[in-house]
Amino acid sequence: MAEELTLRVITPERMVVDTAASSVQIPAIDGSMGIFPKHAAMVAALDSGMMTYTAAGQTHSVFVAGGFADVRDNTLRILTPAGEPPEKIDEERARKAEARARERLKPQRSNMTAEEAAIDIVRANAALHRAIMRLKVSQRGRR
Amino acid sequence: MASVKELRIRIKSVGNIKQITRAMEMVSSTKLRRFQDRAVSSRPYAEEITGLVSGLAAVLGPEVADKPLFKKGAGDKLCMLLITSDRGLCGAYNTNIFAQLERYIAAAKADGVDEKDIDFLVYGRKGYRYLSKRGLTVEAFLVEPPLENIDFAQAAATSKQLMVRFLDGKYSRVDILYSAFQSMVKYVPRAVPFLPVEQEGVTEGEEASISKDSDVILEPDAETIFDSLIPRYLEIRIYNALLESLTSEYAARRSSMKAATDAATDMQKLLKGQYNRLRQEGITKELLDIVGGVEALK
Repeated sequence: MAEELTLRVITPERMVVDTAASSVQIPAIDGSMGIFPKHAAMVAALDSGMMTYTAAGQTHSVFVAGGFADVRDNTLRILTPAGEPPEKIDEERARKAEARARERLKPQRSNMTAEEAAIDIVRANAALHRAIMRLKVSQRGRR
Repeated sequence: MASVKELRIRIKSVGNIKQITRAMEMVSSTKLRRFQDRAVSSRPYAEEITGLVSGLAAVLGPEVADKPLFKKGAGDKLCMLLITSDRGLCGAYNTNIFAQLERYIAAAKADGVDEKDIDFLVYGRKGYRYLSKRGLTVEAFLVEPPLENIDFAQAAATSKQLMVRFLDGKYSRVDILYSAFQSMVKYVPRAVPFLPVEQEGVTEGEEASISKDSDVILEPDAETIFDSLIPRYLEIRIYNALLESLTSEYAARRSSMKAATDAATDMQKLLKGQYNRLRQEGITKELLDIVGGVEALK
C-alpha cells in the first residue's frame, strides 16, 4: 500500500472532495506545485487553475478559483471560493465567458480613463484565465 | 348574536385560513432546514479561513495593525449593511431588527454622528421600506438575486462593495446588522462591526494552526497570503450573516405560522360550540312549537 495523504477541497457551499490521494498538484501563485504524502506544514496562496490528484491509481482534475492550500498533519486542505470537478463545469458558460473576456481585451474602446482601462484589462485577463482553465479541466474530464 | 348561517360561514373561513397557515408553516420548515444545512456546510470553510487568519496575524505580529483594512477609516460617516426580510408574516422578526437599528442610531448620535450620516446598504424589501419611511439614506437596495436565492458569489460581491466603500475613506466604520440564529426559538438581532477588522475577534477563538515559532512554509510569503486572505475572510462573514438571517427569518415565520394555525384551531372549536348550541336551540324551539300545536288540537 502506497503512502497517502488526506485531500479535502472545501468551498463555502460544500466539501467538494474528501479523499485519500497519493499525490496532488496545485496551481500555486508562483507556479504549479506538487504535494506528496508527509509534506512539511505549509500554507500557499493559489491562483485559479487546474488542480489534479491521484487517488486509487486514477487521476482526477478539479477547477479551483483561487484560494489557499493548507498542509498539516498529512492533510491537504484546499480552501477555495469555487471548486468544480469536470462534470460540474458549464462548458457553454465558460465558452461565453471566454469570448466576453477576449472582447474586452480588444484595444479599440476609449471611453474610459487610462486607469480604468488598466483595471479593466487586469480583470478581463483574470476572467479569460478562469474561463480557459475551466474549459481545460472540463475537457480533460471528458477523456 | 350571530345567526346560524353566519356562524357556518365563519367556521368555514377560519378553516380555510387554517389550511393556508398550515401550508405556510410546512413550507417554512422545509426552507428553514435547507438554509440550516447550508449554514452547516459552510462551517468547515469558515473555520479554516478564520484559523489561517489568526495564525498569519500571529506570524505578522504588529505589522497587521498598519494594514488599511485594520485601521479606523478616514471619514466621519458610518456605513451599515442591514439584513431584513423580503416578505412579512414572520412575527416580530423585522420589528426586532428595527428596534435594534434604533438603538444603533441612538448610540451613533451619542458618538456625535447624525442619523443622516449613516449610509445604508439593505437586503430585504421590509428594511428598505422602513428606512425610506424613516427618511434615512439608502445607498443601495440589494435585490439581485432575491434574498432567498442568495449564494456565495453574491455575498462575496457585497463584501467587496463594502470593502471598496470603506477604503474610499468616507467612513470611519462599516457595520452589519443581522439576526444571529441561536436556536429554533431564539434569534437575536445583532449589530457587529465589519470593518475595520477587529484584531481581537480574529486572533482569539480558533486554535491557530500556525504560530510564530512553528516552521510552516509560507508560499510565497506571510504578507502576500494574508493580504489575499482577508477579503476571503470578510466574504465568509457576510455569507454567514446572510445565512443566519435567513435561517432566523424562516424559524420566525414557522413559529408565527404555527401560532396562527393553533389559534385557528381554537377559534374553530369555539365557533363550533356556539354553532351547535344555537342549532340545538332552534331545534328545541321548533319541537316545543309542534308539541304545543298538538296539545292545542286536543
